[in-house]
Amino acid sequence: MNCLEFRREKLADPRRLSSEARSHADGCPTCAAFGREVDESEQALERALQTPVPEGLAERIIFQSRRPRRAWRAWALAAGLLVALAVGFVLGTSRQPANADVYARLAIEHVAMEPESLTSVIGADAQAFQAAVQTFGGDVRELPGKIRYIRLCPVEDGYGWHVVFETPQGLATLILVPGKRLPRLETASAGGWNALARPVRGGYYAIITKSRDATSEFERMLRDCIVWNA
Amino acid sequence: MRAYSADLYRFAYWLCRDRHAAEDLVQEACLRGWKSWGDLREPAQAKAWLMTIVRNEYARNLSRKRSDPSLDDVDESQLPFAPSSEGGLEAAQLVAMLPLTYREPLLLQAIGGFSCAEIAGMLGTSEGAVMTRLTRARQALRQQYTEAVKRRTVG
Repeated sequence: MNCLEFRREKLADPRRLSSEARSHADGCPTCAAFGREVDESEQALERALQTPVPEGLAERIIFQSRRPRRAWRAWALAAGLLVALAVGFVLGTSRQPANADVYARLAIEHVAMEPESLTSVIGADAQAFQAAVQTFGGDVRELPGKIRYIRLCPVEDGYGWHVVFETPQGLATLILVPGKRLPRLETASAGGWNALARPVRGGYYAIITKSRDATSEFERMLRDCIVWNA
Repeated sequence: MRAYSADLYRFAYWLCRDRHAAEDLVQEACLRGWKSWGDLREPAQAKAWLMTIVRNEYARNLSRKRSDPSLDDVDESQLPFAPSSEGGLEAAQLVAMLPLTYREPLLLQAIGGFSCAEIAGMLGTSEGAVMTRLTRARQALRQQYTEAVKRRTVG
């Protein structure tokens, strides 16, 4: 076995090396070092994939498998229709077009659907934030708060950086979505959240906080801290 | 099914990146598995069989939505692309950015613990093709991971 074959085998299945590959690594310091590097990144990968499993999942699976599915689906469909009618009624009575401020609303929905973003500290990396802002043509002069959470998340039109800051006004979420240009500033309030979505060069950002004042204040801080070159 | 529910959920989650959709996928897959349990010839293969059902269920949903490329439409030569500016992001984010054709075998191996031959059987492709996909996926992740470590060391 040569070095190239060893690397291919190690990268294809790091945990199942053939005896030939192990012998090769024993006699080749370069491949042995390569193997250790792969093992290290493999451990990082496995840790990263250990996403928390919802409590009671196994029980729900067993319960669902014993329920009459068709009836459940029919009720779910009926309930869905009722909810849709209710939402339509609320939207209709508020005289708001269905597509108004859609990205501000989606931003609120995103935060509401990812509650762990507000309770955990993950990947709090200022450099990653700086790099994300740079993809918008922006420049970070200073951080608008302490970063608690930064993740690249799937959003409506692709991917966006989901960043949570700790600020004197409480937690503020910033979602940076590259590549999508909004025609105007959008604002929304729902479920105890307030949000705005503002177009900037290279995409748009959304700010989500618990109140309109906190959203405005965080945006003011953001303007002081970041030059968007827009 | 109870024994495999965590691995099934994690596999589903990293395919679709949505907690609720992942649970739905697992529920649906387990229901299908439950109904056709008699078709399973070797109980030792139950985990691989259920993960294949999750994968097929996800593919079915994708083709219904048509919002993502189908499992077979991704160009084999298309290497995962991650701008250098994203080097500081975590391994989890890098995995999420891998095209499905690379992500899928990687998840089956890292979460399910399957060999290249077993994955080939589950995906209906050759062992060589699986090895190539896994090699490319890990090359991309390793490159980004090394850059991130370097950046942290320098910083």
